[in-house]
This record gives sequence, C-alpha cells and structure tokens, in this order.
Amino acid sequence: MFSTVLIANRGEIALRIARTCRELGIRTVAVYSTADQDAPVVRFADEAVHIGPAAPRRSYLNAAAIVEAARKTGAEAIHPGYGFLSEDPDFAEICAAEGLTFIGPPPAVLARLGDKARAREVMADAGLPVLPGGNRTVDTVAEAVERASSVGFPLIIKAAAGGGGRGMAVVREPHDLPRIYAEVRATGQAVFGDSRVYLERYLDGARHVEVQVLADSHGGVVHLGERDCSVQRRRQKLVEETPAPGLAPKTAASLHEAAVRGVRATGYVGAGTFEFLVTGDGEFYFMEINCRIQVEHPVTEMVTGVDLIGEQLRVAAGYPLTLTQADVQPRGASIECRVNAEDPRRGFLPTAGTVTTFRAPGGPFTRVDTHLEAGQRVTADYDPMLAKVVVWAQDRRQAIARMQRALSELAVEGPGVQTTVPFLTEVLAHPRFLDGKHTTTLVDEMTAQA
Amino acid sequence: MAVNGTERAEQLFKVMGQRVIRDVAESCGSVRRIRVAAGDLSLEVEWPGGEVVAVPVAPVPDGVSSRPAEAPMVPEPAAPVLSEAGVVVRAPLVGTFYHAPEPGARPFVAVGDVVTADDQVGIVEAMKLMNPVSAETAGRVTEILVTDGQPVEYDQPLMVILPVD
Repeated sequence: MFSTVLIANRGEIALRIARTCRELGIRTVAVYSTADQDAPVVRFADEAVHIGPAAPRRSYLNAAAIVEAARKTGAEAIHPGYGFLSEDPDFAEICAAEGLTFIGPPPAVLARLGDKARAREVMADAGLPVLPGGNRTVDTVAEAVERASSVGFPLIIKAAAGGGGRGMAVVREPHDLPRIYAEVRATGQAVFGDSRVYLERYLDGARHVEVQVLADSHGGVVHLGERDCSVQRRRQKLVEETPAPGLAPKTAASLHEAAVRGVRATGYVGAGTFEFLVTGDGEFYFMEINCRIQVEHPVTEMVTGVDLIGEQLRVAAGYPLTLTQADVQPRGASIECRVNAEDPRRGFLPTAGTVTTFRAPGGPFTRVDTHLEAGQRVTADYDPMLAKVVVWAQDRRQAIARMQRALSELAVEGPGVQTTVPFLTEVLAHPRFLDGKHTTTLVDEMTAQA
Repeated sequence: MAVNGTERAEQLFKVMGQRVIRDVAESCGSVRRIRVAAGDLSLEVEWPGGEVVAVPVAPVPDGVSSRPAEAPMVPEPAAPVLSEAGVVVRAPLVGTFYHAPEPGARPFVAVGDVVTADDQVGIVEAMKLMNPVSAETAGRVTEILVTDGQPVEYDQPLMVILPVD
C-alpha cells in the first residue's frame, strides 16, 4: 500500500479522502490555495502545501504545482477527488511520467471515455443502448441541421468535453438549432477548451439512474447497485438515493449488467459511474461515464458497507478488490441531500458571505460530509456545496422521515448566506417524490409554480 | 522579532535598524548578512567568507529595550529580523528555488547587492520549467531566506529587499 498520498482537491471530498487514508495508515498531504488556508483538511492532513492563489487555474488545476507538491513531500500517489483534474488524461499522463500513481483509470482509458462523443461510440459498440444521435461529433451548422433531421426534436446538444452539467442545451424547435449549436460550441471552448459537440435525442420526463462500478487490474469487476439522481436543477444533482425507487428489478439488473459489460469492454480500472436515462416504460439508454469518485458515493457506501475510497486506494496500489459480486448485498435505503450556498428563490444563485453559525445534524444512521465550520467565508471562487447530509434507513419512507429530521437540525447561518435546505425539504415532501414517480423535470416544475 | 514592548518602541527600533543597515552597508562594502537583535542590543555583520563580527551598539533610552538577553550571537539562517524593514520577495509558485542560472554559475544576487525592480533574483523550477523570480522592488538585498535547491511553496518568503530612496 502507499505510504503517502497527496490529495489534489479541496472541500468535503479532500477531507473524506484524508479520513480513509488515516484509517488505512496512509500519510496524507493536503494542497491548498490561499482562500483555503484555514480549511479543516489543512489541519487534518499530516502535511499541507500552499500551491497557489484562489483562482483554480493557478492552484487546484495547476498540474505543475501539484506534481511539485508531491515531489516535495515524497507522496507516491495522487487522489484527484472529483472535478478539477480528476478526469484530465493529460494530468494522469504527467503523473505517470513523474513516477506518481494517479488514483483513477489509466490515462488512455480516461482519454477515450472522457470524450463523451467517443465514450458513446465505444459503449454502442459494446452493445449498450444509446439514444439516436449518430456516433460522431457534428462540426458545422450544416452537419448539425442534417443530423438533426434524422435524430428528431427535441434533441440535446452536448459538448464532447463537457461535464458537471455544463456544456449542454436542449433544442425543441428546428429554427433554434443554429443559435444553440453555436452557444454550446462556445461554452465547450470557453469552459473545457474543446468546441466539439454531438447531438442526441432528448427524452422529456426520464429518470437519471447511474450504476457504481469498481474494477481492479486483475480482471475483477463488480457493480454496487444503482443510484437515482433525478432531482436536478440545471442538470446539477440535488438529491440522490439508492435503490432507485420504482425501478423494476429486471430493469435494474439489466442496468447493472450493462455497466459491467461497459467496464470489461474498455479495460476500465478503479471506481466509476455509468449514467443512464430510464424511461417510464423501463427502456434505458447509456449517457456517459464518470471516471472518478462521485459526490453522491456515500449513499452506495451506506447500503453496501463498502468504503469506495478505500477500494480506490487498494486498486490503484495494484491489489485486487476486497469483494466479489456475491459480497455486494445492498441493504435498506439511503438518501443524500446536497446543501449548497444558493438561493432557491432566486434561481439557485450562489450566495456569498461568512457563516457565523454551523450545526451539523447527528443521530442514528446520519452522516454529514462537510468542510464547513463557523467563521468560514463562503466565496465565489469554488463550487457552492457546503455539506452533504446522508441518511440510511430500512426502507425509503423511513429514510425520507430521517432526512427531514436531519435537515431540521442543520443550521447554516450568516449574513448573506442562503442555502438549498428549505427547497430540499419541499422536495422531500413533494407528493411525486414521495411516490417515487418524479423525473428530471421535477425541480423545474416546482420552481415554475413558485 | 525580539522587541516585546510598545508600538513606539517597535517603531523606534525599526527606524534604528534601517539606519544601521544602511550605514553599515554603505561604509563596509559587500556585506553578506546583517543581523540586528533587540534584547541585548547587538549588531552582527557578516562579510563574504563567513566571519561574523559583533559590533557593540550604544544603549537606547529606557523603555525601548525590552526582553533580557536571549538573542543568539550566531546567525540563524531563517530568522528574518529585518523583514519588517524590507519588502519580502515571495515564491510565485511551488517548486525548487535556484539562486543561479545554472549549477556552479554566479548567483543572481547576494546579500548586499543593489537591484532594480526588473532584476532577476532567482528561479523557481516547476516540472523542468524555469520560472524567473524578479525583485519587484528596487533596493538592497538584505536577506536570503532559502538555500539553493530548496523546495518552496507558493508565496513562501525567498528574500528581503530594503527599498533604497
């Protein structure tokens, strides 16, 4: 096993990774920007290196600074967390060239699957169902118009390099196509440095269901069940749960099988997530692969008892997985709510300010992953997520009641600071959510009514 | 800083320190290192070659002197006694600090050198890319806080420059 791991991330996930490292007896190195110098992980880690100013480009996205920090501290491996450099094949390659283990899939796999247009093609070849859209990017308006006529409307234009809900837009009317096509290309270029886009048929009222997989370098592959992440706003997840409510066991089994097939077809190693759209009549379509640990991984941990970060570390160190498929026996139900510094009444606009009061919920089967402390400044430099509240219960109904109780205990206060908590409690009480019949349009419908 | 007294005392000491440094630097030529201690009112001057000379300093008025003698006579490498009197040059990124353009070459600057704002005073190497560090301030280099080949963090103090009017 590694003796020292550098954590190339910030916020709750940096702390989350450091905690498992500590439990496994691994020395940890935190890296931090000037804005995060008082972050809990800086104190928690065995060593911390100041890598740059607040701007991510000069700190958490600065591959040279992170590699130098690893060298300075004698780290053998780098855990990239999620976001930032976690799915950057160039960074994975730099790590390899510098003799550092990148905790994630091999660089070549990352390059092939991180390109969403290519991932779609690879999965279609492996026999996974994909939505109509053709297996190539569309590189001119004329091509887009031609492809659209065979795909049909509504359709969605996605940036090949997109992620995190950015770089995609729905086109409902043919006359909007050229404008939206240009917009997504521009976003792709500006945000991801890649203007290539592809088209796909868009499904209204589908559910977002994803499958967690783990693979080692000895051919071991397991899935750890699915998560439903249909409660989204602007394609960013707010509430995630497992098992997916109302998903027929046969459909669930097909999803799991498809994900494992996708892993085997690509030589994937590490933790990954296969995202699917599932329609009301149980049809499902592959969307994309997230080649990293995900924000919502705790719900899977709660029902399976598997520490996903621990497995990532073991697999990256060359060990086989500690479990086989037969060992994965999910039990009960788990829900996660993302507490963001956003104002739901103003279109989920991020809010900034200093948190003067922070009280995390406790109690039975309640887990809070957070980096928040009273006195902390919430800035616009980074993602507005403040905390993840996760609960487990024997069934979904009890899990919802437990989450409501947990959220009522949570206090995040400070001048100017607004959170998603009031909205989350509305979601949990919404009849369609309670019935498990909601789709990805739930949040839009709720905010349109308000 | 060894001054433990009032703000006025600190201010006085700072002014005194600056004057001493300027006087010594101008009259004694190429000085490698100067250290002014407060407790027992000592002044140390180091010339290239490494010898340390302790110069007795006249006592300051009552109320300025503070702590009992505890400042060491032998210079410590990372005791930036003069930092408050100068401008600190900081590392622009994480990497390895080099004081010369190549191994064995003459260092960009030594303590006592007078630099302009544009002068290069060092290199921070990150992933084989040599990033020049410039003085940013015109003045005399009074302290170099890192050694050649030392790993440095972002924003780590590298040297102190005393602005020259």
